[in-house]
Amino acid sequence: MTEEVEKILKGGLEVEIVPVEGELNVGPQHPGSGHMRIFVRLNGDIIEDVDLDVGYVHRSVEKLSENRNYIHLIPLIERPAILDSIHMNMAYIMAVEKILNVDVPPRALYLRSFAAEVNRIASHLYGMGIFGVFMGHSTAFMWGFGDREVWVEILQALTGARVTNSYILPGGVRRDITPVIMEMTEKAIKYTRRKLNDWKGIFVNNPNIKARTQNVGVMTKENAIRWGAVGPNLRASGVAFDVRKAEPYAAYDKLDFEIPVYKEGDAYARTLVRIEEIEQSMKMLEQIMREIPQGNILSDRFFKQIPPIRLKKWWEGQHRIVMPGYYASFRPPKGEAFARVEAGRGELAFYVISDGTAKPYRLRMITPSYRLIKVFRELAKGSRYADLVTIYGSLDYFPPEADR
Amino acid sequence: MIVFPGLIFSLITLLTAIWAERKIAAKIQMRFGPYYASKRIGGYFQLIADAIKFGLAEIIVPSNSIREFFILGPILITAFAFLPMAFIPVSQIPSSGSITSPYYRFFFDKFAGISLYQPIITPYSLLFIIAVASVVPILTVMTAWASNNRFSLISAIREGILTVAYDTLIIIALISMGIEYHTLDIASIVKTGVPGIIANPIAAFVFFVALLMGTARFPFDVAEADTELVTGAFTEYSGLLFVLSMAGPYLLTFVYSLVFATVFLGGWLPLMGIPGAILTVIKALIILFFSVFMRSVYGRYRIDQILRGGWKYFFPAALLALIIGMIGGIFL
Amino acid sequence: MKEYPKKENPFKLLGQHLEAIGTGLKYLVKPTRITLMYPEESMVLPTGYRGMIRLYKDVCIGCTLCAMVCPADAMKMVTEEGKKLPMINYGRCVFCGFCVDICPVDALKETGVHDAAFTNRRELIFDPDKFSQDFDQPPTMDKPVRKVRAKIDEKKGIVYEPDD
Repeated sequence: MTEEVEKILKGGLEVEIVPVEGELNVGPQHPGSGHMRIFVRLNGDIIEDVDLDVGYVHRSVEKLSENRNYIHLIPLIERPAILDSIHMNMAYIMAVEKILNVDVPPRALYLRSFAAEVNRIASHLYGMGIFGVFMGHSTAFMWGFGDREVWVEILQALTGARVTNSYILPGGVRRDITPVIMEMTEKAIKYTRRKLNDWKGIFVNNPNIKARTQNVGVMTKENAIRWGAVGPNLRASGVAFDVRKAEPYAAYDKLDFEIPVYKEGDAYARTLVRIEEIEQSMKMLEQIMREIPQGNILSDRFFKQIPPIRLKKWWEGQHRIVMPGYYASFRPPKGEAFARVEAGRGELAFYVISDGTAKPYRLRMITPSYRLIKVFRELAKGSRYADLVTIYGSLDYFPPEADR
Repeated sequence: MIVFPGLIFSLITLLTAIWAERKIAAKIQMRFGPYYASKRIGGYFQLIADAIKFGLAEIIVPSNSIREFFILGPILITAFAFLPMAFIPVSQIPSSGSITSPYYRFFFDKFAGISLYQPIITPYSLLFIIAVASVVPILTVMTAWASNNRFSLISAIREGILTVAYDTLIIIALISMGIEYHTLDIASIVKTGVPGIIANPIAAFVFFVALLMGTARFPFDVAEADTELVTGAFTEYSGLLFVLSMAGPYLLTFVYSLVFATVFLGGWLPLMGIPGAILTVIKALIILFFSVFMRSVYGRYRIDQILRGGWKYFFPAALLALIIGMIGGIFL
Repeated sequence: MKEYPKKENPFKLLGQHLEAIGTGLKYLVKPTRITLMYPEESMVLPTGYRGMIRLYKDVCIGCTLCAMVCPADAMKMVTEEGKKLPMINYGRCVFCGFCVDICPVDALKETGVHDAAFTNRRELIFDPDKFSQDFDQPPTMDKPVRKVRAKIDEKKGIVYEPDD
């Protein structure tokens, strides 16, 4: 103490200007952190650096995959992104189908697109809800979850489960669409179109939300490509890339749709991209319901193996196929395959190596949120502390998906 | 004898405000809100149940906090948020014909020439309200400092910066009313019979925005931003102290709503006596409900945006209100 | 490639503020609620909902396909009086419905029951006898539970209609 006083006296009462620097531990138990620890280094209100400590919900999907049969992996692979499970399921099945060399009947392809688009709407609504509550907009949070419920109801009617659908099998899909579900979807589309107007009134066009999101977390086109952003976040930065257009899978080569691209690359542009994607998805759903071809929903190769009595009961009676015994532990030929889809949050890729046994030799899973870790970190640098959650929410980062 | 019914009354309005906030938000957000604690009256007793639960919970005092200030903080905040009520006239005591008429002479305001439901009669009631209410943010900063939490500290800084912005607005808006009506006594303002919102609408608007800012209502909820700062200055609180820390801002909102109802909305006029008091409270409750309704419409602004808004747009607007007050003062 | 308008005049901004408040007031006056009042109302799930599974003991041929396809090892085969029968552990089951789909004789069936509570983990294991009974646990309430069915509505999102 005396030393300090002497120092001050010698220095002629010089007051050192101490910048307000500090470290802040946001998470893992924090209302705005999700399943991770965000280690924030603050200089006043400005974030100097962010350290993301991810992995709190790591499930070791890739390693577990080496000890499971191919069919057993379907529910496991859905788990990381439970609200986007159709896409997770579809990308994996597409990779397995490439190894098996199976042709999928066109009706099944349309049904895959149908389920995927319903799932995309639900996923975007969920993302917007979380984004809303991060900015304190509790109505957006409740509306996001409430309006999502309508689409989840359709998925439940179609697949038999709300979120863990396990809908897509190698060679086709498990259940056929019925007129009841089509009617439900038409009503849901009308409802969501009405509701999106109110969404615009209270959330998207709200000057408060605009002030919070515009020019926040700006990602330029070059940075977006360099940091490996995917999905709506990439498209909001002016890069017109969508796997559905670049490498059409399922029925997307026959569907008319536009991919919304915005130039700004800020949080508001990302929100607008999501809103417009919901509209595009509803357009696609209408087209699918109009144009869906008649026919089988499972590849003939497996369809023939189903016992005729069961076929009569299930396929002709309830429009759902049952699984032939082949699925219990099939052994695909040696080979490797890569498949990618445009999931709700962006490009999702699966790489499967088969060594001829009933279990994959290696399964690599690259999820869209995984790529957002880098983006999040870079965007948070230099922003204000209050914008940390805005950036986080606008990226629609989903920790379990990133941790796998 | 005067303070005690006031406390009960404040408690009831407090519960009503929180209940209304939850119910209004629930209606807009496609849900029901509090329901099961008392189904017939829309779950009103849920708040009492919550209060009992918090009241019985253990109060945890962090070991590295400043113990005395940590415990005193919420108590003082609630007390100072409640105190301005002593200067607010809720109604006029008629000289005869009411059960309160015997008190006519005790509460006679000789400056306004009428007798009032106002515990402390003073010709400077506006000034006293501003003075007492402006202690609250200082206590919030003290509380945050005492709890020795980083989130609380950031919240304290935000609160401190914000206080400068909104206190200016509140003071200028009320002073412009004072200039316009040539008095700092609320009762005299009400007695003129011209509601402030007609005499000076800009001052009313500025005061309402400053009310939202000053009591941490949306969209100015930055000091208590839960996704950023957990619960701001009150992150470390639990139990009864937490209840008090929540009650303080709501009480302050109600105090400002009462000021708004009397200064800008004509108070108890044209009634007097107990019906007049009810009318004032209803007017105040409408303002209070509207301010809690904002939660379901807005998110929260960023601190720099609020400051920019406060100094760049509302401060000139407040000065304009002052000029209007000067001009309007010629006619009133 | 689109751009959103950057500069907006203050009057439009005020209009948007009023629009936001107006939307809020609209829902305050005419609320659309989608809450299911759960213990008093209970949802009847659509046919094909993958709820809890029940076994038809007499139909089962003991082929073990269900145990083989089970992704979570929830279904195991036990030998009971010389006959192989499946038993299920609901602590592990993920309700994927693969076992129902793969059963060659339709000895397994999906029920619409999804809300059950158990007091300990042993109760979650259903031996073939328990497995081959209809399992339905009504919520414990004094009043009868209203059974409702969710319907999608163009205006209200989801409405719950009484099931008859």
